[in-house]
Amino acid sequence: MTELTAERPSSRTADIVRRLLASQETGLVIVVTLLTIALIALAGSHLDRRTGLEVNNFWNPNTLVQTLTDASFFAIMAIGATMVIISGGIDLSVGSIYALAGVSMALVLRAMGPMGSGATAFVGIVVCVGIGLMCGLINGILVVGLRVHPFIITLGSMWVLRGFAFVISKAESILVPPSLTDVAKAPLGLGGGLYPVPMLVMLVLTVLGAIYLTRTVMGRHIFAFGGNLEASRFAGLSLGRIQIGVFAVSGLTAGISAFLGASFYGSASSGDAQGYELYVIASAVVGGASLIGGKGSAVGATLGALLIVLIRQSIRTLHFDQNYEWIVIGCAIIIAVVIDQWSTRMTARRLTQAAESARAAK
Amino acid sequence: MNVAAVRFEGVSKRFPGAQALSDVSFEISAGACHALCGENGAGKSTLGKIIAGIHQPDGGRLLINGSEVHFTTPRDALAAGVGMVHQELAFCDNLSVAENLTLSDLPARSGIVDREAMRQRAESMLAETGTELDVTREFGKLAIGQRQMVQIAAAVGGGAKIIVFDEPTSSLSQAEAERLFALIERLKARGVTCIYVSHRMPEIFQLCDAVTILRDGRHVATRATTSLTESDLVQMMIGRPLAEYFGRHSDASAGDEMLRVEGLTVPGKFEDVSFSLRAGEIVGLAGLMGAGRSEVASALFGLEHPSRGRIVLRGKPVEVRSPAHAIELGIGYVPEDRKRQGLVLSASGLHNTSLPILGRLSRFRWIMRARERSVAREYFDRLRVRTPSLDATVAGLSGGNQQKIVLAKWLAASSQILILDEPTRGVDVGAKAEIHALVGELAARGAAILVISSELPEVISLSDRIVVLRSGRVAGELSRREATEDSVLRLMAGIGEPVAS
Repeated sequence: MTELTAERPSSRTADIVRRLLASQETGLVIVVTLLTIALIALAGSHLDRRTGLEVNNFWNPNTLVQTLTDASFFAIMAIGATMVIISGGIDLSVGSIYALAGVSMALVLRAMGPMGSGATAFVGIVVCVGIGLMCGLINGILVVGLRVHPFIITLGSMWVLRGFAFVISKAESILVPPSLTDVAKAPLGLGGGLYPVPMLVMLVLTVLGAIYLTRTVMGRHIFAFGGNLEASRFAGLSLGRIQIGVFAVSGLTAGISAFLGASFYGSASSGDAQGYELYVIASAVVGGASLIGGKGSAVGATLGALLIVLIRQSIRTLHFDQNYEWIVIGCAIIIAVVIDQWSTRMTARRLTQAAESARAAK
Repeated sequence: MNVAAVRFEGVSKRFPGAQALSDVSFEISAGACHALCGENGAGKSTLGKIIAGIHQPDGGRLLINGSEVHFTTPRDALAAGVGMVHQELAFCDNLSVAENLTLSDLPARSGIVDREAMRQRAESMLAETGTELDVTREFGKLAIGQRQMVQIAAAVGGGAKIIVFDEPTSSLSQAEAERLFALIERLKARGVTCIYVSHRMPEIFQLCDAVTILRDGRHVATRATTSLTESDLVQMMIGRPLAEYFGRHSDASAGDEMLRVEGLTVPGKFEDVSFSLRAGEIVGLAGLMGAGRSEVASALFGLEHPSRGRIVLRGKPVEVRSPAHAIELGIGYVPEDRKRQGLVLSASGLHNTSLPILGRLSRFRWIMRARERSVAREYFDRLRVRTPSLDATVAGLSGGNQQKIVLAKWLAASSQILILDEPTRGVDVGAKAEIHALVGELAARGAAILVISSELPEVISLSDRIVVLRSGRVAGELSRREATEDSVLRLMAGIGEPVAS
């Protein structure tokens, strides 16, 4: 009788391969890769004026870094938002948090006058991240304290926070000190007008997010909370703290993204990141997060953001009519989620069969 | 009485992980009230659900009024005159009684609902079963007994000549149950065949003409109730005399007092409840549905906060603030509803097992995964959990294995005081025996165990002592020697008056 299939060393690698193949992210990586290959093949090429060499219209450093930079601003937010979604909630306010954090930073720096570049960056980060974290905490506390669904609370705070940004900025676009732009556009050894900072931050945060979700107690609690609230209560988890925590992280990532965005583009206004909340949610969902809760990943969220940006990019690169961008992206989101659900069902069926045969073997 | 209302010929049904029915053959005469009885997991509910079209048999034939039928939905069954009354109600809580009763065919004129016609039709359906009810009331606001009446009215009004009642009294008060019995008598008088799924002896003998006993998915016997005594029936249900039912642990010499409850009160739930629990002892908490058993457990686990009375743990009075605090105090709670309260179904067995003790399995909030895995493996092996791997999601496992994982969770948390609420509900017979053996073993090793179960034989044979609750108060305490189904039932339902007869 086999109680539990012992993990024999010989089957370990096979096991890892199987798990990799079954994981949500692998599917996304494949789709992203295929789309990239198709883009390279179809993009055509042009002659570089300086070097006289033929350059692929997509597979060239400029376009690639540009695409990744585009993705990074909302991929970073999607990492936080995916945690809210795994917990079974939703955060509609991230775009507004972005705007408020960016505007606040620009105003504070303007009020403080010229400073050293190190001090400027420090104050900027503290203000942006601090405002983001605070907004997230407020969202979480309102959700837990008032026992109102996160959709409602964040729908409200979405308008309130953007309203604050509008009022304090007097609807003006406010310039941020050039020293911040120097930070966000630091070439880091890359030449030719390539700015790798946002995409590097995205990569680092993806890794941190993945570790947080899969290797820490808090991450595990988020999955349990979203998977079954009652069972989590019976397991002695502090439900309120978990829920406040996910909103805080979501606000935090919005703050980080705001710092990068405002610094990168050199200004902040109350209209920044309008509609980003939906891109962010779409990224998380395309990345495999389930709106019912209990399922999702940080890597998936970033890949989801990447996929959406790639689709947008392909419309430009392939010279399709840009007016169709929204239609294409909307369809892509629905298709991605349908495929995901379908594959989840297949996996579940396979697992049940495995459990069956394990039982039959006893 | 020439053609049987229902006839089973070699019916089999397999669920993932359990053979629910194998080769069951018998018949039910028209116009009779026929009981299907057996332990939990014997297959009686499955059989009822096959008649009502909720499950489809894998093998064998089902004949209704002499002709073979293949129901694929409850609607098919109702079309053939078979209705079912069960706990998982198929009605919309937010609609009115009238709307629910006429939902499949709302009376309407050019798309606008004719409210008057709807009300009249619903009232006449209820009248047919002799029930009076304000049909404009919201269904969700009715008492459970009234909801059952509405269900029965829907079945009868839908033309059902055969009605399956699945454990209909399990959540009814005594008075509601009496009303239900009266209604069943009226239905019988009108020639309706009633199939009564239950393991409650007094009801079976009061109501039913014939009884079919199932055990482990097999047909044991079909008899006229007049030819049987209660103990015959029990004997056939369990297949051996009650005394050896669970092969239960020898009387462990009980150790120090672990838990004492003094005058505990949660307003509206239970009042002035006192009992004690010693190391190595198994105490049963018995009572009818709604007597406050699970509520007492919730209070011990910090889910409810008592307004009066106190909880004394190992001689020290404590206030159990939250489940986290209870776990810290060494209390583990296997809740009543495994899927809703016990497990995160979307997560793996590993993650479920470690959930309450992640704090202990981590350093600086960083999970030590090797340790987590070895702890889970230890308890999975000890409880003989059958799963393809530690990482398989628990949703795909059988009830028995799921329940073992809930137990593993609390063993891994090294709880010294275990509250087991319906520990074997919906668990197949093999796993049930294993769980019972484990409970005995845990007690022998010095754990203090409080068992709550609706299955009287289970409580009686597992427990060293039984505390009986009635309407939120302690009705009495029985020692192992005094505890019989009869004595416990009498206490549960009210001393003196013979139960439900």
